[in-house]
Amino acid sequence: MNGNNYIISASQVFKTYTTGRVSVHALRGIDLHVQKGEMVAIMGPSGCGKTTMLNCLSGLDSTDSGEIFVESMQLHKLPDDERSDYRAQRMGFIFQLYNLLPVLTAVENVEMPLLISGVNSQVARRRSLEMLETVGLGSWTQHLPAELSGGQRQRVTIARALINNPAIIWADEPTGDLDSETTQDIMDLLLSLNRENSQTFVLVTHSREVGEMCDRIVRMRDGQIVDDGLKA
Amino acid sequence: MQELFGLSMTTLMAVLLAIFLGIMVLVAFLAWRHRIMLRLGLRNIPRRPAQTALIVVGSMLSAVIITASFATGDTISSSIRNASIEGLGAVDEILSPARGAEDFGPVYVDTSRFHRLQQELADFDEVDGITAYISESAPTLNLRASLSEGQARIVAPDPATLEGFGQFTLLSGQPYPLDSLPSGSILVNEEANEDLDAQVGDTLRLFLQEGFADLRVEGIVENGGLAGVDPTILMPLSAAQEVFDKPGRINTIAISNRGGNVSGVELSHDVTTRLRVLFADPQIVQELKSLLNNPEVLTLIETHETELGVAHKEDLAALRQELVRPEVTDELVRILSDEDVRSQVMDALASGDVPHIEEKADTLFRNLSEMNVFEVKRFFLDLSDQAASGVTALFILLGLFSVGVGVLLVFLIFVMLAAARRTEMGMARAVGARQSHLVQMFIFEGTAYNLIAAAVGVIVGLGVGYLIVTATNQILSGTTDGFEFAYTFEIRSAVVAYCLGMIITFATVAVSAFRVSRMNIVEAVRGLPETITTGQEGTFTHRFLGILKAVVRPILFLKSAVKHLTGRRFGGAIRDLVFAALWMLILPWIADAAIALLRFAWPYILRGWLTVLLGILLILGAIGPWQQGAPFFIGASMIIVGIGLLLRLAVSRRPAAAPLPGLLTLVGGAILLVFGIVVGSPVDILTAAVLVIIGAAMTISAWSNRETLRPEFIDRLAFTLMGVLTLALWILPFDTLEPLIGHLSFNTEMFFISGMVMVAAAVFSLMYNADLLLKTLTFVTSGIGKLRPVLVLAVAYPMSAKFRTGLTLAMFALVIFTLMVLSIISDAFGNTLADTDSVTGHWDVEMDINPSNPIEDIEDSLDGISGLSPSDIDAVGGFVPFPVAARQAGAESPRWKGFSLQAADDAYLDATEYTFHIIADGYGPTEEDVWQAIRDNPNLAVIGYFAIGDSGQEDFGSDTSSFRIDDLSIEDETMSPVVVEVLETQTETRIDYTVIGVLELVADNAGSMIVHKQTVDDALPFPVPVTTYRFRTGPGVDAKETSRTLESSFLEHGAEAVTLKEVIDEQVAVNSAFNNLLTGFMGMGLIVGVAALGVISLRAVVERRQQVGMLRAIGYRQGMIQLSFLVEASFVSLLGVAIGVALGTILSFNLVDSFREQIPGLEFSMPWLQIGIIIGIAYLFAMITTYLPARQAGHIHPAEALRYE
Repeated sequence: MNGNNYIISASQVFKTYTTGRVSVHALRGIDLHVQKGEMVAIMGPSGCGKTTMLNCLSGLDSTDSGEIFVESMQLHKLPDDERSDYRAQRMGFIFQLYNLLPVLTAVENVEMPLLISGVNSQVARRRSLEMLETVGLGSWTQHLPAELSGGQRQRVTIARALINNPAIIWADEPTGDLDSETTQDIMDLLLSLNRENSQTFVLVTHSREVGEMCDRIVRMRDGQIVDDGLKA
Repeated sequence: MQELFGLSMTTLMAVLLAIFLGIMVLVAFLAWRHRIMLRLGLRNIPRRPAQTALIVVGSMLSAVIITASFATGDTISSSIRNASIEGLGAVDEILSPARGAEDFGPVYVDTSRFHRLQQELADFDEVDGITAYISESAPTLNLRASLSEGQARIVAPDPATLEGFGQFTLLSGQPYPLDSLPSGSILVNEEANEDLDAQVGDTLRLFLQEGFADLRVEGIVENGGLAGVDPTILMPLSAAQEVFDKPGRINTIAISNRGGNVSGVELSHDVTTRLRVLFADPQIVQELKSLLNNPEVLTLIETHETELGVAHKEDLAALRQELVRPEVTDELVRILSDEDVRSQVMDALASGDVPHIEEKADTLFRNLSEMNVFEVKRFFLDLSDQAASGVTALFILLGLFSVGVGVLLVFLIFVMLAAARRTEMGMARAVGARQSHLVQMFIFEGTAYNLIAAAVGVIVGLGVGYLIVTATNQILSGTTDGFEFAYTFEIRSAVVAYCLGMIITFATVAVSAFRVSRMNIVEAVRGLPETITTGQEGTFTHRFLGILKAVVRPILFLKSAVKHLTGRRFGGAIRDLVFAALWMLILPWIADAAIALLRFAWPYILRGWLTVLLGILLILGAIGPWQQGAPFFIGASMIIVGIGLLLRLAVSRRPAAAPLPGLLTLVGGAILLVFGIVVGSPVDILTAAVLVIIGAAMTISAWSNRETLRPEFIDRLAFTLMGVLTLALWILPFDTLEPLIGHLSFNTEMFFISGMVMVAAAVFSLMYNADLLLKTLTFVTSGIGKLRPVLVLAVAYPMSAKFRTGLTLAMFALVIFTLMVLSIISDAFGNTLADTDSVTGHWDVEMDINPSNPIEDIEDSLDGISGLSPSDIDAVGGFVPFPVAARQAGAESPRWKGFSLQAADDAYLDATEYTFHIIADGYGPTEEDVWQAIRDNPNLAVIGYFAIGDSGQEDFGSDTSSFRIDDLSIEDETMSPVVVEVLETQTETRIDYTVIGVLELVADNAGSMIVHKQTVDDALPFPVPVTTYRFRTGPGVDAKETSRTLESSFLEHGAEAVTLKEVIDEQVAVNSAFNNLLTGFMGMGLIVGVAALGVISLRAVVERRQQVGMLRAIGYRQGMIQLSFLVEASFVSLLGVAIGVALGTILSFNLVDSFREQIPGLEFSMPWLQIGIIIGIAYLFAMITTYLPARQAGHIHPAEALRYE
């Protein structure tokens, strides 16, 4: 248990991938602390370990060593099922390629985390429709992902990430597949949600413009944080 | 096995081998030309061993079924063949006197006739043995062991004539010359030794018509040859003549052909010809030749030939050839003396309007020969082949569904493989690969799978064949008297099965490869959802030219070859020449032309009008010349599909019209529909249905336009209508449309066709409305909590992949459908025998006695039996069954046909309780009235159900040439008395009976006529003893115990008693066991369904890797992912099972309903236990196969899955 008020706190996190005879040191002693309600952008060149760090911090991936506290809990020490339940209730994810379920409509995709958490289906449907309204997709609730544009799909992903009112939203290149205009729309949406709900956002991005819209930018290189964005 | 479906197995093997080798040469040639495609195709095989294994398992099914069918056939053929050769030994032909009966038993002739025959054959080299003997049967008792045999066979040859037949060999291996038997001694064969425990020195008592004879056992000889395989007693001719009081007489002559026991049969044709010429009356032959050598008769015979199998066809063709020769040939005599040919000739004559010729021919045929010549060994060898061929054909036919679903699986596999490689295929196309290259790539891969799958299939099939044979032996163990099928198979059968399995799968692979190689390159490269690629229709001229080109294709090949040669492109020239040569084999040429024709017609078929037209033509043929149900229903389905296609076109292309005409048509159709349903008029219902469809389409078309009516909606509407209406048509009870189309005949193929069409229509309708099912499930599961997302996804995925889900559903549904129909029908038929009283006439015990030692007075004889009180037997009656010829007085055909008579005594007629299908006017109304009438007037009779003209007796295994009353139908409820003339053929005695009733089908004498015995006693010149007694036991009396008491009490009469209920139960048990065996065999198709689910699940794990990662990220537990995959497989398999169960039940209900009138006691019932087992097994294996992929999916690491594209 760490004694600070950080919602995310990582220290000396190491992660190495071994593929055949090649070992890749993806994370080499990461130390990162994120305050509640903060919007943090993680930037760096390709292959520097941004996504790996996001996956490790969110509990999607394991670490070789180091300590990670999320809401004062060490996720890695939880059994897989409890970790899954925690993600369902307290986290939201936004991915570059949306990762929507192609066989479900927009509203069905959005309500999925609620259903997993055991929320009554009627309540889940009502809240999902409201959330889609919030992200500006009130008229597209019954469409399949294939029938939506890239920006619309990302809005559905955002709605899905926010539907369970999570404490932390992890976003991996949320605007990587979008044009600049849509990128601005999406970022405006994320910023307004961040301000209104005081939720913590951790974004991985290549885009300087996106990074600059966040509260701070954490820069990485070769598996290490070279600048944590905090003023010295 | 020599033949299958009338084709020689050797020819079949040669043709299939040629096709197989042709395919291999073609594939090798293509592989050589495009090595890169070969490498691309083959590299996939070792990549995913689990998938490769599943593909091999799924693709091997055709080979498994064919091999198992052949192995079963080979085993039957070889077992019967070996048993026949061992049993008959050197005996090749058996001769018996055709005329001159003196009493009720075998016909005897003087030994001088035999000596004359010896002289007549003295210079005939083809015969190396001829012996005369007495062949009789008698009840026999071993006095020491007190064991008896009711019908022991006695064979008594003249020892001096046994040359050529080998010697009787003692069990010690020592030969025992028959003439060295001391007076009063006998030899017994192994079978008699076993049954009677007859040891050397024992005394056997033979009960004879008058008294008995005690004979001492001198030795025990090996079975076979004249010693036979039944319990047989051997003694010299002179001794038997004395025992049976037949001095100087014999009743049988046996002939041994030159050569060994096996090779001798090759001479059977020549020997039979010679013998028949010797025994035929030349005058009658000449008269027959003159009678039959007339253009009208020859035409009748030629027409009749077309309805016959190969062997009979050849005989009749030879007969026509011989008849037109100027002289009488030996071959003509041989053919005319053949009883089968006679029967066919008489059938041919009966089919024409030549009654005078028919009657004369009948008389001449019956007086043609002095002795009957029976090619006994040839007969059994042919029988072994026919039995084997029949059983193999049955298994192959039953396996057709499984082969069909196997084909679907191969198609599905290739669709899945193509989906997996879509991007790389798109890339290949983008950099210049042609569609044909992709086709070749799949063909290389498919051929590799096929070569392995067919080999594995043959090996597994041999194992399945072994299981079938073992199970058959087990089932028949109580009924075959020690005979067992010895498992064997011929290499030739394995080769045919391998080639056939390989060719079927290869053809499917080729079609699939062509289908999956069509793609939109951009969509494929970018991984976008696939849009339907319909291909270019081509202009009318282009398609028409296609037909012309196909017609002259070989010339085009030659032209191209010349062009290549002049350009020095030798590879191309060789290829063209090879193709030109291939086309000259005609079959590829025809196929090419047919494809061109189909291409030409395809656009019109898709537009609907040609489909409707072809449907109408089929219907006209069906209700016109063919009188067949199958083409009618196919035609009607085509009309439905055609109308659907036309409407689809009309709605989607026509400009908006005024809504009123459409609305009026719709309302009018609806009113007519209600009216049709109320009055039960199929014509009105059908017309109304068409009006409703047209009206609905017109209304929708008018109220909408292309902008607002989405194409998917139009497709859904059209295809749902087609599916639902087609399904409705096929589930109608069979006789619903009879008022409209008359009575059509339905054959076995209807079962297969209806299964395919019903399942296709159901799956089609379901898949086009998948979202409704999904919405329903979403609604239903709204209160299930955390399971809900699992269920929703488990249904959403398969419903979004319509094609693969539809195919898998169809596979499951088809297999379950067949199993359901088989189970329900066999259960329903099994139940008909449950009412044993209807079957037996309410008799409990049957006792056969030896005719040579009849019982004087059964009632008196029962009195003195210890252990049998008078109250134990409620009733007893007796009858004697014997064969006669019969014909209907005043009928068109004057021909005598074979039938069976049961001449029953008063007591039997008094107590029997058989019920009637029809009672003649004036003789009812009750059953008792009918039996009383026969007792009062002995010239009255009742007849079995199979004597009704349209009873379909051939379906029940009865001889089609047996007697029938033509103008009586199974649907008749009344009849006028019918006069039937009966002829006892040995004595030429004629008796006329008036038939006043027809027994029910289930009666155990459905193939006989029951008459009063007094009429037979009065008419025949010798006494006719009762040979069968039936007893009705008193209440609470143990019938089994009574039968034992009766058998031991009437030992000296050769009594063999059985409990009728036990006999029926045994029969039911054997039938049920065989049905279970067939169900198991057909159930092999489930392997395919299960393999399909496995392939789909494996593929799904790969396809949904990222989605699984995302689901894990948003909180899905491992178990939920795993459960989602298992529920998905459950959903597909159970939905398929449900379709199969529902459709199978409906078809079975209709089948049972259509038979109910003919078969009393036939009731539809659901064999729940069997159905439960079928569903349970299907589901269990589906789950086992899906478990591994599901587990694999559950273990997908979310971070890894999300990291990669």
